[in-house]
Amino acid sequence: MHAEPGRAGLMRRLFDWLHARTGYRSGVSHLLDEPLPPGTGWWFTLGSALLFLIVVQLVTGAVLTLYYAPTPDHAWESVRFIAREARLGWLVRGLHYFGASAIVIVAALHLLRVVAFGSYKPPRELTWLTGVALLLLLLAFALTGYLLPWDQRAYWATVVTLNIAALTPGVGSLLASLARGGAEVGALTLTRWYSAHVILLPTLLVTLIVFHLYLMRRHGISGPVRERTGERRPFFPYQAARDAIVALVLAAVLVSLALWGMPELEPPADPADATYVPRPEWYFLGLFQLLKFFPGRWEVVGAVVIPGIALAALVLLPWLDRSGGREPRGRRGILAAATLGLLMVGALTVAGARDSGRGRAVVGPDGEPVWTPRQIAGSVWVARAGCDRCHAEAGMADPPGSRPLVRPTAWLASHVVDPEVIAPGLRPPPRANAREVEAMVAYVIRLSRGDAPPPFSDAVRDAAQIFARHCVGCHRLDGDGGGQEDEDGPDLSRIGARHGLATLRRWIADPESVDPDATMPSFDSKLTPSELDTIASYLAARK
Amino acid sequence: MKEGRRRLLGAFVAAVVSGLGSALAALAAAFAAPLRARDGGGAWRRAAALTDLTAGVPYAATVHVATDDGWRRARVPQTVFLIWDGQTSVRALSATCTHLGCNVTFDEETKRFACPCHGGYYDPTGRVLAGPPPSPLATLEARADAERDEVTVRL
Repeated sequence: MHAEPGRAGLMRRLFDWLHARTGYRSGVSHLLDEPLPPGTGWWFTLGSALLFLIVVQLVTGAVLTLYYAPTPDHAWESVRFIAREARLGWLVRGLHYFGASAIVIVAALHLLRVVAFGSYKPPRELTWLTGVALLLLLLAFALTGYLLPWDQRAYWATVVTLNIAALTPGVGSLLASLARGGAEVGALTLTRWYSAHVILLPTLLVTLIVFHLYLMRRHGISGPVRERTGERRPFFPYQAARDAIVALVLAAVLVSLALWGMPELEPPADPADATYVPRPEWYFLGLFQLLKFFPGRWEVVGAVVIPGIALAALVLLPWLDRSGGREPRGRRGILAAATLGLLMVGALTVAGARDSGRGRAVVGPDGEPVWTPRQIAGSVWVARAGCDRCHAEAGMADPPGSRPLVRPTAWLASHVVDPEVIAPGLRPPPRANAREVEAMVAYVIRLSRGDAPPPFSDAVRDAAQIFARHCVGCHRLDGDGGGQEDEDGPDLSRIGARHGLATLRRWIADPESVDPDATMPSFDSKLTPSELDTIASYLAARK
Repeated sequence: MKEGRRRLLGAFVAAVVSGLGSALAALAAAFAAPLRARDGGGAWRRAAALTDLTAGVPYAATVHVATDDGWRRARVPQTVFLIWDGQTSVRALSATCTHLGCNVTFDEETKRFACPCHGGYYDPTGRVLAGPPPSPLATLEARADAERDEVTVRL
């Protein structure tokens, strides 16, 4: 770092010139030559590790903004572009994505180290307080960053987060509407959170880090709990070498995760999707799980009161701990409470992770989601509707399925029913009823995820059309369909195992002839005899 | 001995800091560097019905061209002038002025293409008549198919 004596020439003269004008050598020496208490070891690398991870986030975040577009119409596509098309985009995004998780873990370890070593004790109370503030800032980064890809996970996690914020007594609705920007989570929320994520929070973060480090240097590193005898050695190169090794390990872990562990982007945010089960990022799973223990009007306890008490305990720790020294023996209560808190957070997180969502697609023997009757019927009806007059390779619009859809289902449905609204005067709207529209939308969405329909037999295509028109409102099959739970008919995915062809046909034509208490309407007059045969044999084959 | 260890550790730290720093900088630079445009090569696109054309009179056809613009796939309408010889051949001229890229229009009265920006003029075959354009209007490949009643251009 210093200009070595004897290293002759131009560089030496240049540095001398710089030093004469800036005095930089005393600055560098102040930064690097701090004598550390003997016994300062690996536990004291966590702060530097955090600093390293934050630098990685700042650099990768700064360049991610080159391709990211914070609007609901383009956010998802721009993130997909970063992940798939931009040069090394998978690595930049992977580092930023896993860097966020790594920061939460290392920050938690850093905090635990400070608690375990009693480093928060006077005169370091303010260092502790700025540290707690930094932890909250890092969580705010995680929260705001989570929305930006604008996929299903991002959208729904944010809806839930804002509803939790709204539970805060007194200021809840104000807080939530400030964070939301508009009436619903949408374009105004996205720009707000983006602005916070890339301008407001980084400014606060850097300012607080500088203050935190200033305080750390002012009071010196706390060092081991019991003072050891020996020589005080400078930070550079002894402790710096440990920091360097930790940084190398972290870099290797992040690159490996980006290479092998990167999760796929979920489908674009769809506010109309009622089947999606929102799940937060893993470090918020504990809070998420806590909510489940406090249903109804007690929800505020899990959402605000308990996290509030935990935060207050953290803030007040230096004053709650009245013991004289840093020795663990004198701080048994504090250490027990910290251990208990840690175990609770861990248990809640594990419980939250195990509580897996339902409503997932049914997977076939090949591991791919099966094609539901609605999607199969949709493929027939889309082909019939003449969509290809505009949606063609050299046409006015992209062919269906050639690009991922970023429009919400409500938009797609209205486009199918009345293309005049979106593309006035181009063609007459296809004849379709609501069930057919739903099926066509389901098919187009499936297609846009890159799944081409396998060939289906005519019998299956015919049965799927009947099912998607008449049965899907009350009955579930292959994970799709069904209405209100109390009005639901049974799931028909395996109905053939329970009833034979003749019974099924009779049941559909006239339910009361089989079961006098049946609430299902008769389909004798709605379906032709051959349609009755088709759907009954299709269901009888479902075993 | 002790001094040697100190120097070695110092060199190690300097190597790690400069190594990680330059790796991060290189990654950021590679990511930020402009992406090379993919060469679409052009495709044959329907521009007009042959029966819409009048022999010798340039016909302004609008052709939608799908282009990749980063994460956006834009369908850009482009104007192409089609000039039919009255027989089987159609000539297609790009409407883009070769001076600074404005769109030219065809003036029926004077029978010439006029650029509204800086007063460039071209004759109906695309040759420069007056003004700043450095070269004639670009010619595009075009095909006329009387049987299917359509004119296609490669764009």
